[in-house]
Amino acid sequence: MTIPGRSNITRRGLIKLSGAAAAAASINGPARILHALVSAKETGAEAKTQEMFSACDMCFNKCGLIARVENGVIKKLDPNPNSLKSRGMLCARGNAGIKQLYDPDRLKYPLLRKGGRGEGKWQRLSWDQALDHAAEQMQRIGETYTRCGFLFMAGTDMQSTFVHRFAEAYGSYNIISHESNCLLSRNRAFLDTFGVVPTPDVLNSKYIIMPGANRFEALVTPDSMDLMTAMQSGCKLVVLDPRFTKTAALADEWYAIKPGTDLAFFLAIAHVLIREKLYDKKFVAQKTNGFEAFKAHVEQYTPEWAAGETEIPAQDIRRIARELAAAAPAAMVYPGRRSSDYKNSTQIRRSFAIVNALIGNWDRKGGLIVPKKINTGSIYHDAPFYDDNPEDRVDAGRAQMMFDEEGSFKHTRDAVIEGRPYPVKGWLTYKTNPMQTGANRNKTMEMIDKLDFMLSVDIVMSDTAWLADMVLPAPSYLERKDPISAFLASSSCSGVITRDPIVPAMFESKPVFWVVKELAKRLDLSASFDFSIEDFRKAQLEKLPEVAAALRQDGVYNITGPSYGIHEGKPFKTLSKKIEIYNPRYVKKGVDPMPVYHPPQEVPPNRFRMVVGRNAFITQSASTNNALLWQLQNENCLWIHPQPAAALGIEHEDLVEVSSPAGSGRLKARVTKETRPDTVYMDTGFGVVSKGLSNIYGKGACIAEVLEDHADRISGNMAMHETFVRIQKI
Amino acid sequence: MKQRARQIKYGIVIDGSRCIDCKACMIACKVENNVPEGLWRNWIRPLMIESSTQKSEFQPGQCMQCDQPSCVAACPVGATYKQTHGLVAIDPAKCIGCGNCISACPYGARYRDPVKKIADKCDFCQRRLERGEEPACVVTCPTKTRSFGDLNDPTSEVGRMVRKDNLVRIIAPHFNTHPNIFYHDGTNLLDWANEPVMPGNVHMPPEFWKAGNQTI
Repeated sequence: MTIPGRSNITRRGLIKLSGAAAAAASINGPARILHALVSAKETGAEAKTQEMFSACDMCFNKCGLIARVENGVIKKLDPNPNSLKSRGMLCARGNAGIKQLYDPDRLKYPLLRKGGRGEGKWQRLSWDQALDHAAEQMQRIGETYTRCGFLFMAGTDMQSTFVHRFAEAYGSYNIISHESNCLLSRNRAFLDTFGVVPTPDVLNSKYIIMPGANRFEALVTPDSMDLMTAMQSGCKLVVLDPRFTKTAALADEWYAIKPGTDLAFFLAIAHVLIREKLYDKKFVAQKTNGFEAFKAHVEQYTPEWAAGETEIPAQDIRRIARELAAAAPAAMVYPGRRSSDYKNSTQIRRSFAIVNALIGNWDRKGGLIVPKKINTGSIYHDAPFYDDNPEDRVDAGRAQMMFDEEGSFKHTRDAVIEGRPYPVKGWLTYKTNPMQTGANRNKTMEMIDKLDFMLSVDIVMSDTAWLADMVLPAPSYLERKDPISAFLASSSCSGVITRDPIVPAMFESKPVFWVVKELAKRLDLSASFDFSIEDFRKAQLEKLPEVAAALRQDGVYNITGPSYGIHEGKPFKTLSKKIEIYNPRYVKKGVDPMPVYHPPQEVPPNRFRMVVGRNAFITQSASTNNALLWQLQNENCLWIHPQPAAALGIEHEDLVEVSSPAGSGRLKARVTKETRPDTVYMDTGFGVVSKGLSNIYGKGACIAEVLEDHADRISGNMAMHETFVRIQKI
Repeated sequence: MKQRARQIKYGIVIDGSRCIDCKACMIACKVENNVPEGLWRNWIRPLMIESSTQKSEFQPGQCMQCDQPSCVAACPVGATYKQTHGLVAIDPAKCIGCGNCISACPYGARYRDPVKKIADKCDFCQRRLERGEEPACVVTCPTKTRSFGDLNDPTSEVGRMVRKDNLVRIIAPHFNTHPNIFYHDGTNLLDWANEPVMPGNVHMPPEFWKAGNQTI
């Protein structure tokens, strides 16, 4: 396929063309559109077709894509075969991106809340009115409550860096992201073991234990595709999951592990590896810290003991340990992504990291790797200093070892509700939806009620935007110019991608870069935004001319070459300069230096443990309202095992109420053996409060309403598998 | 191109063991072909086995572009026909929307378009083929479950697979429409094709009545 360069079509040309297309559509009545399906060649009206590169934004993966544009309208998104990360694929959501662009539910102009919160009464504003008002509120809140009285939260987006920059210039340390509802405890655990968060070389692996992760549904590129490729070449996959996910369905072995006992499983694996001397002795002696202490520590954790905890037979645990060691170093415990499950989720992931260390798969083909990544330049700014600011973040001290730059949504929300240690009265959210993704929705509403001013910038009226005081319309990824983004890509090494507008921004939508720049102007912070995106990109690529050329030519820059065997002899970035099986820093913080098993709370009688997950065609709440994806699933349902369902008199598709101390919801039952009898599940992204999501409003129930907000003690990451619910037939 | 060249016959070989049921092919098809809301030109058929050791299976499918198409025989007005390159096509100008072809298809591959009021189905993305591109479902697949090409070309991947690999076809119990979608041997989803329901005045050739050997 040949791709003409971007320069073939000008922005002006695009506007003209789309205008012409709109005019043509209004002349031909709907009945004649049938004959418009005859190919353009036959009608003689050859469509002006362009193909342009971009990067998908339907989830965080940034897969390469090619947009086919006919007469100024995007007709199809296809995979960019040049992207090694996405391996020439575009998933269901990527294909449905066209309906994020052409969506009647999109936010069209700035809105100011007129009625009570959540009433849905809005007044249309001009951009000037909206920005003046927002800047006034920010100024007032900053002066009254200090600059830290304003909270910033931006989702995973190539322009979120500008929201962070704006927060720095404004002077608030209170910046959070979606990550503390997702993967921070995994990052904490691997960082505290290896000094860096590695990626898994799935492609070359021969044996993978996948605890909890659902890589064939929760797609991560290239891991999801590489897992299939590896399995086709004989890699064995062992899945531990209380649910029969599609990953479990396709695995060589699936164990419906008792939820919350993964740590017992991996301590027993470590026990077998050490007792049977199957670990990599040379590697462990040279590169790890605290092995002898760990050896004594895991003596107690026998497979027979673990069988009682996990409900996985001891002989299977023993066999899996032997098989893992036999395949090493091209073998791994897959680190996973979302780890927001238990109060000890960092320690659970520490056990994954330690077993990987024992089999010596570090920096080895088929093991855990740290590929080279491009370091792009930037435009640096001197953020002003505000001497009346408090000492620390508002959520400081609420977890043992929180990431300063990420914080914790759960703890920040608690702090805002309590008004301690200081009041936070303003909130800016950009393309993130904690009303749906942060456990305990009622508490999120309570938090919002404490605010003087909340501003949401988004593409559609998300549940979070629905509760805001002001909502500003952002363009989709197909309509805007983004900075350069470098990413790690596991087995395919790493790469760089960017976006240019494929069609002009629709309605009155404006990119968040423009929004914060305009706010900065009004707040006398222009010095931090004295550039255009084009200038920013130039600075990013100043020392990387080959990247700019590749982006033009191929739509992506791939860094290839071996991504393993490249760190030999380098010290680890830990206190001991070694892999910390025993973490001396943890001792100082009052944290167990080696993971100690504490059994999860037993599921009380007549209750069920709720677990969180997703399928391959929804990105939580960001895509459930999509007009194409909605046709695959237009509501969520409660997965419940036939045994308890029968006891409760619940039949397939009966309406049930699911309730916890946090809240409740009503949805249909899906009676299925695809979950354990003590565990229930429902998809995220339904039961919305926003009437601006017209396809799914009134459909299903909201899991964030039902989940209690526990947190991982170490990282402050949300713990979403600690809720016991009651199920009742309606 | 009047020279006596080998006829192109497009076909798809599907390796069901690769499919992860992500639905990318279904949405890609819908966008490419403007398929109306709630209707699909392709599908993924699941075989869920809730076992710790036995693998489940997901089997994609779509119009099989049969060589002995019951849909063509069932059409009273000649609107559906066997086109060049082996494709079964529908002439929108001729179709009267009677629905005979829909019940005649053993695979449930056809639907009645509620907007256009005519029968419709997968055409291997003919407009993409004209542009030199493969069908949308083939290209977009994360695990490259489908292989597309000219079955008559022994040098093509599908040509090689049809000749060398153990492939099977899915065939209705008593009728063989000679489909051009092949599955890698080992698929456990072989018995789902329905008996075609033919209009009473349609007479099919003898080879149609033979339940063909599923392996080729």
